[in-house]
Amino acid sequence: MGFTTRAIHAPFLRKDPHGSLHMPIYESVSFEFETAEEIEEAFLGKRPRHMYTRISNPTVEHLEQKIKHISGALAVVAVSSGMAAIADTFLTVARQGDNVITTRYVFGNTYSLLEKTLGPWGLEVRYADLSRPDTIEPLINDRTRAIFFETITNPQLEVADIRALSAVARKHRLLLIADTTVTPLYFFSSRDYGVDIEVLSSTKLVSGGATTVGGIIIDNGTYDWGHNPKLQQEARRYGPFTLVTKLKREVFRNTGGCLSPHSAYLQSVGLETLALRADKSCENTTAIAEYLARNPKVKCVNYPGLEASPYHGVAKDIFGQRCGALLTFELSSKKECFSFLNKLKLIRRATNINDNKTLALHPSSTIFGEYPQELKRQMGVPDTLIRLSIGIEDVEDVIADIAQALEH
Amino acid sequence: MTIKVNGAAQEIETGLSVADLLVRNKVEQPEMVSVHLNGEFVQRNRYGITALKENDEIDFLYFMGGGA
Repeated sequence: MGFTTRAIHAPFLRKDPHGSLHMPIYESVSFEFETAEEIEEAFLGKRPRHMYTRISNPTVEHLEQKIKHISGALAVVAVSSGMAAIADTFLTVARQGDNVITTRYVFGNTYSLLEKTLGPWGLEVRYADLSRPDTIEPLINDRTRAIFFETITNPQLEVADIRALSAVARKHRLLLIADTTVTPLYFFSSRDYGVDIEVLSSTKLVSGGATTVGGIIIDNGTYDWGHNPKLQQEARRYGPFTLVTKLKREVFRNTGGCLSPHSAYLQSVGLETLALRADKSCENTTAIAEYLARNPKVKCVNYPGLEASPYHGVAKDIFGQRCGALLTFELSSKKECFSFLNKLKLIRRATNINDNKTLALHPSSTIFGEYPQELKRQMGVPDTLIRLSIGIEDVEDVIADIAQALEH
Repeated sequence: MTIKVNGAAQEIETGLSVADLLVRNKVEQPEMVSVHLNGEFVQRNRYGITALKENDEIDFLYFMGGGA
């Protein structure tokens, strides 16, 4: 079955008493039991019952099951945001003194999470040039727990050679974690490329076009948790279900980053049209990137879907014609960038990606505004850069708006 | 013979496998359950070939735990 058919016809775990075609919104904090024995068994994990919505809820569980059904993953945990998905994953797989390897090109808030939030608690972050996997191996030692990367970095639009990263991770028995926010589910099968854990912000494409904030952790069931010293005891007891058990019975439960049932409902419905929106937004992005590449006022355009992109080959290999709906371009100065943004009439000045609306942002002064100029340079975020997240509007209207904003 | 299922003693006939016990005990949502035999995880593809023995302790566990 195809992606959309699976998304639309994902089965319920339990038959709905009223025959509802959509899983209803179970907007209830708590769930009652017939007997004290039953509630004891549920608390011990010996009965599959929902008890308290911070930990599990029928509507949230349906979203998790739907993603599991679509992706063929071993287990899925829905959380309150993409950042919660990343934070919960690191808190589960690493402890004080451990390190993870990533790139300085990670999303600004992820960089902040690693450096400012988890760093002081003892997680060391080692930075490699992930476009050159040979730079990873010298950083690996016996405390390295994972390689973390984004499939397409935001806003540098560097595309990871996932097979090459996977080969390094396998060789050293490291966990390979991919943030697939820009290319979720429909774009490629992460398991086929050797990704062990997928984290993503479901706020974007999954939610139906930025309706609600949410995050997803997907365990492909490919990692032997016995290789992680922190989780060896759990690995003997829970085998491939080590991560999901540790999350559900400890980290996710204790940190409290749960997804609301209402958000889960909208995201579950959003999944059903994800492929349609992804196809349209990628098609629009290609057309807009080609237009910008022809415009003499634009210094350069970055989009992996363009043949001129250094990442075109690897992007095409992994994602085919769908290279995401994010592009960046450079003008001559920050002043020019602000002038362009202020002249936009249709495109919205807002920070998000994969909304149904096209959004424009100046990353250097916003998401990366907290960092000094030199660090921003290292992070590949110059003052002259504009980011566009392309929506699903009629593309000629978006191009007309860009044209008039560049003209004046 | 006697085994313990989720901590409670249970009499079963000899020769049963883990898969047989899942059916015999009408374990709910078997696709969601994690089976532990004497504290060790049992791979799903081994349910049918894992025979139960006298005094085995088997637990059927789900991932939902917790509460406020």
